[in-house]
Amino acid sequence: MLDAANVHVATACGGGYVGRFLAMASPCEVLCCDAGAEETEALTRVAATEVLRIEQHWSRYRNDNVVYRINTAGGAAVQVDEETARFLDYAQHLYQFSDGLFDVTSGVLRRVWPFDGSDRVPTQAAIDAVLPLVGWHRVRWRSPELQMPPGMEIDFGGIGKEYAVDRALKCLREQTSKPVLVNCGGDLAVSGPRSDGSQWQVGIDLQQPGSPAPTVGLSSGAIASSGDAHRFLLKGGIRYPHVLDPRSGWAVVGGPRTVTVRAASCTEAGVLSTLALLHGANAESFLREQLADAAVWW
Amino acid sequence: MQLNNAQDKRRALTAATLTLLGGGAATTAHAEDPAGTWDIDTAVLVYSESDSRVQAVEPVVKGTYSLGGRRYFTGKLVLDTLTGSSPNGATPASTPQTFSGASGTTGGYTTPAYATPLDDRFKDTRVAAVLDYSFPVSDNGTLGVGVNGSSEYDFLSLGANVRYAHDFFQHNTTLSTGLSFESDTIDPVGGVPFPLAEMAASNSGGGGGGGDNENEDDDDHDGRDDGASDTKTVTDLMLGWTQVLDPYSLFQLNFSLSSSSGYQNDPYKVLSVVGSNGEPLRYVYESRPDSRTKNAVYARYKRLLFDRDIVDVSYRYMTDDWGIDSHTVDLAYRWGFSEHHYVEPHLRWYSQTAADFYRVALYDGEENTVDYASADTRLAQFDAYTAGFKVGSANRRGGDWSARLEWYQQTPTVSGVPDQAAQGLSKFDLQPNLSAVMLTLGYHFKW
Repeated sequence: MLDAANVHVATACGGGYVGRFLAMASPCEVLCCDAGAEETEALTRVAATEVLRIEQHWSRYRNDNVVYRINTAGGAAVQVDEETARFLDYAQHLYQFSDGLFDVTSGVLRRVWPFDGSDRVPTQAAIDAVLPLVGWHRVRWRSPELQMPPGMEIDFGGIGKEYAVDRALKCLREQTSKPVLVNCGGDLAVSGPRSDGSQWQVGIDLQQPGSPAPTVGLSSGAIASSGDAHRFLLKGGIRYPHVLDPRSGWAVVGGPRTVTVRAASCTEAGVLSTLALLHGANAESFLREQLADAAVWW
Repeated sequence: MQLNNAQDKRRALTAATLTLLGGGAATTAHAEDPAGTWDIDTAVLVYSESDSRVQAVEPVVKGTYSLGGRRYFTGKLVLDTLTGSSPNGATPASTPQTFSGASGTTGGYTTPAYATPLDDRFKDTRVAAVLDYSFPVSDNGTLGVGVNGSSEYDFLSLGANVRYAHDFFQHNTTLSTGLSFESDTIDPVGGVPFPLAEMAASNSGGGGGGGDNENEDDDDHDGRDDGASDTKTVTDLMLGWTQVLDPYSLFQLNFSLSSSSGYQNDPYKVLSVVGSNGEPLRYVYESRPDSRTKNAVYARYKRLLFDRDIVDVSYRYMTDDWGIDSHTVDLAYRWGFSEHHYVEPHLRWYSQTAADFYRVALYDGEENTVDYASADTRLAQFDAYTAGFKVGSANRRGGDWSARLEWYQQTPTVSGVPDQAAQGLSKFDLQPNLSAVMLTLGYHFKW
């Protein structure tokens, strides 16, 4: 059972406190300038409650939530709650925004792409077999009612974590006017500059052992990173990353290892970094076109 | 939804993300509505002045239809119903005063001693309509054209306008300009009164006509040109600059020039002509210059705070060639106390100087020596405060409601008192305070 009580506070390297918890398969942390251990723990609990609420609400590994109801509806229309409806509106916007590259129905492709570090790249026939179950255009979305063909699935994993970071920050801002930072597995957002006016120094984990972590200064907004460090297939010298184009069903090869984007919100940063990866070799020109404040590592 | 270029797309993404996160209200970048949707605003305003003065009920319906590709059609319909009484411009007197109806078409009315004379026959229904179309002429340019009209039983107004807005620097800067033209026809009951002519059949029994005014065709000597109407044209030019300062705030600066020529008088407003004792001898119709030029500058700053609240501050300065200078300071703070509800306290302070020709009353014979005179309190020096709050819902599926309750208090400063009658008039409350309550109920939905 996911539980907001699993929160602990430690001394941060800068001298203050850091609250930690685990959610969305990531280590999460909360930093608050000038807050003592007790206050940091209370704030961390607030953030953890919100992040875990979202995880429970939209996790595809549970059988008691709206995603389960949608994915097991067998072609029937499903009424969704307001937050999910807003998220589906957003998913629809992203689908249009990205010309179909960002698609919350693409999770079905995992059935043929194991991404276990092996060389089990699927055959075209295997991909062709699941492709008819992928594509937002096959979904009938008339808020608050969603209806899709049997076998199709939706999955908010692509931006759920970034959304949770933004939501957690919003909850923290209601609790304190002190500067705060929320970080879930490298996707993070801050409420403003640190109390001494300086920027938060954020290390970007390139997930490449041995290479130093570059740091980025952040005084407002958020940072999100997308990468494929651990999940890929390797066959015939070609690295097939865990970045799937929902239109072809194929992994996007030749793209960067890590893309980090800074934007006003973690959600927006996450969308841009994810889409940059989906643009493969054209990641940088995509980011330039979007006027994104981004860094790319190949 | 056809998005024109990458910058538009990015802007729409930012807007959509803000909507998702519940902070969409403060940004200037709107996610474009898909083609074929109506965005409908309905509201009803109830306005009630104290002491049974003007009461108004005003339902409004406005619909914006998205044709896709940033093309919008807007239609708006307003219905105004006004009743109650409004000061006719005359000063109080120690004895009851009786005022005639125009040309005997409507009944007269009597004001008790020491009371401000109010014309209680004030009753009107106004219908106003606006049609507007805006469309892109380039990636960064938007053109808008509109026509509007309004009709009352004695007033008809027709207008047209054209506007152009151009975005610079990834839509962070918008420069806009607009030109509008309006033509009004005033057809008052009993005809247009002659300026400074005596109002007929008052109890002061002046009877001697309004002096040397050119009222040769005024057969029945009621001070009105029987059946005559008059016209006015108004031309407005506006220049605007909107600057997005950062993702959370914007600044706006507007300049406007308004030039009006033709009939400017209120055909139902009079001035008392008083003796040195301050008591009325007769009443004359007001007279204003036949042109008016106004210049105004407006500055506004709007900011999203805590991802939840919106602070909105504005200042407006207006000056015209009638001698009126006004300042308006407006403060509103929208507190999003829950995800879907807000409360917005609002304060406004307004102050204006009097028009050069504003007079509380004229001294006996003065009506023959001045060109212009008006006792309309709207041209007097006064301060006004508006305070209130609005509560409403935001970002709900289905529709959003709002309710606004405001109190208005106008505090005049007495000016334009004729020296010779100052002593005599000092026993009267020449410019009583005015207070009003306004309630607005609104509902907004997409269809």
